[in-house]
Amino acid sequence: MTNWAILSGIEGNLAAYEAVLADIKRQRQPIEELYILGDAIAAIPESTNVIQRIRSPRPDEPVPQVCQGWWEEQLLILHGLGRTGEPTELIERYGIEMVKTLWDAIPREMVEWVRSLDFGLFELDCLLIHGSSVDVGDELTPDTPAIQMLDRLMRMDANMLFCGRSGLTFQYEIQQGSVTSSITTLDQVTTPQAILVKPRQVIGVGNIGRIPGQATYTLYNPYTNHIEFRTVRYGSGKGFQPLKDKLFPPLNNRLMT
Amino acid sequence: MKIAVMSCIHGNYEALNAVLSDIDDQNADKVYCLGDLVGYGPHPNAVVEMIRALDIPTCQGCWDEDIVEGLNSCECSYPSVLAEKRGKVAHDWTNQVIHPEVREYLAQLPLSLRDDNLCFVHGSPHNQHEYLMPEVDAFVAMERVLATGADILFCGHTHVPYVRSLDVGQLQIRVKLTGKSEPQNTSFSAPLKRIVNAGSVGEPRHGRPNATYVIYDNDTDQITLREVEYDYQKTCAAIIENGLPPVFAWRLSKGLEYAERADDPTHVCER
Ligand SMILES: [Zn+2]
Ligand SMILES: [Zn+2]
Repeated sequence: MTNWAILSGIEGNLAAYEAVLADIKRQRQPIEELYILGDAIAAIPESTNVIQRIRSPRPDEPVPQVCQGWWEEQLLILHGLGRTGEPTELIERYGIEMVKTLWDAIPREMVEWVRSLDFGLFELDCLLIHGSSVDVGDELTPDTPAIQMLDRLMRMDANMLFCGRSGLTFQYEIQQGSVTSSITTLDQVTTPQAILVKPRQVIGVGNIGRIPGQATYTLYNPYTNHIEFRTVRYGSGKGFQPLKDKLFPPLNNRLMT
Repeated sequence: MKIAVMSCIHGNYEALNAVLSDIDDQNADKVYCLGDLVGYGPHPNAVVEMIRALDIPTCQGCWDEDIVEGLNSCECSYPSVLAEKRGKVAHDWTNQVIHPEVREYLAQLPLSLRDDNLCFVHGSPHNQHEYLMPEVDAFVAMERVLATGADILFCGHTHVPYVRSLDVGQLQIRVKLTGKSEPQNTSFSAPLKRIVNAGSVGEPRHGRPNATYVIYDNDTDQITLREVEYDYQKTCAAIIENGLPPVFAWRLSKGLEYAERADDPTHVCER
């Protein structure tokens, strides 16, 4: 049996990441794979600590598999290593000052590591990606039209698409579907054919670092297809520090919804 | 009202003239053009001047974009490696002969046009370079039409005309959110949607050298694929005279291009 932990959006919040790693270790079923779907960094210097932590897992921790997120993409664009030349999206969202803030936050030697990350990961029949098969900034939510979800799945021929852009945890199942298709060319007319959809899912895996004191992530078992969303509360607000995890193992910080 | 839609003229002035007079004979009330005015063929300036003179609403094709922007790193302007090699020669030639005002005109062409419940694009609504082949999965095809909000999506770029009808589309969805224990069941349905590929006026690839385009009659809701004979030998001769790769003349005379079979038709450029 293999169990996966899938998370996104650490956004430079090391305390949140530590709390989630601790929660992963506490699972009754051991977690063999850890996927980080981008936005490990944000425009804060603490991102460096997160990168270091991701790159040096402890012996009892799964080795994280990481893909690029929106922030990683912006960083690469600033360093002239992106798929587009101009940081227009960064400026539109956060203003021109953010260019310098992000540039200063992440030291050059970290950029090479960010550059080495894949755009997305494909394991078994699962696409694991920050945005979607269309773009790192493509935000899939529980309200995204079904036909658009199906398109994102079919572009990579994935049965499961795990994404983190929205920061939400959701399970979006396309259970069944059909359409009648017929084609006329200059030389022939095909009789209408019923095309069926096989069941596919899009999973929003949550967000680790954005909300102080509360991280959400996803557990998945590819054999049973079982999905579990976890909410981890951490920090002083919960009456303990993450470092005290070892002293006070499970109780306080594993409120699950 | 009869609406004629054509695409992919590719600098073939002879073919354009033949199609325009067929459009006249068919008493079409309106004409739309889906781009690729230039590239491969020997008369890019004359073709653009004619389209402009007739004031035909036109969207920008992949070749029109590449002439304006310059070929950049992504090789996906071409369906295959072989096609790319040949395409580059044609690109350089076109780039040299094109008049500045023609380049300016190509630069300002819109990516899509709208007329009531009809939408016009070159490749797909998402990308000028995407090939909407008739084999594309029916739901992917449906998404392309729905993305425009129109009922009929007219496209070109594949150089082979077809009409695809997608009817009684439906999907059953269940969405579960954390915090809300009850999953929500919803369904989605779409009435008849169609994709109409206008083929190619100047560089047909349906297996015969004739120019192709389509006519849509919105009174009868009928779509007709038109195939028009013209003196393609004239264009072939001009291709060779102008020093363009002779293989373009050969394939024009056959109406086929094996190298143009896309290696990966669904590839979408990420540049
Ligand atoms: Zn074309
Ligand atoms: Zn094209």
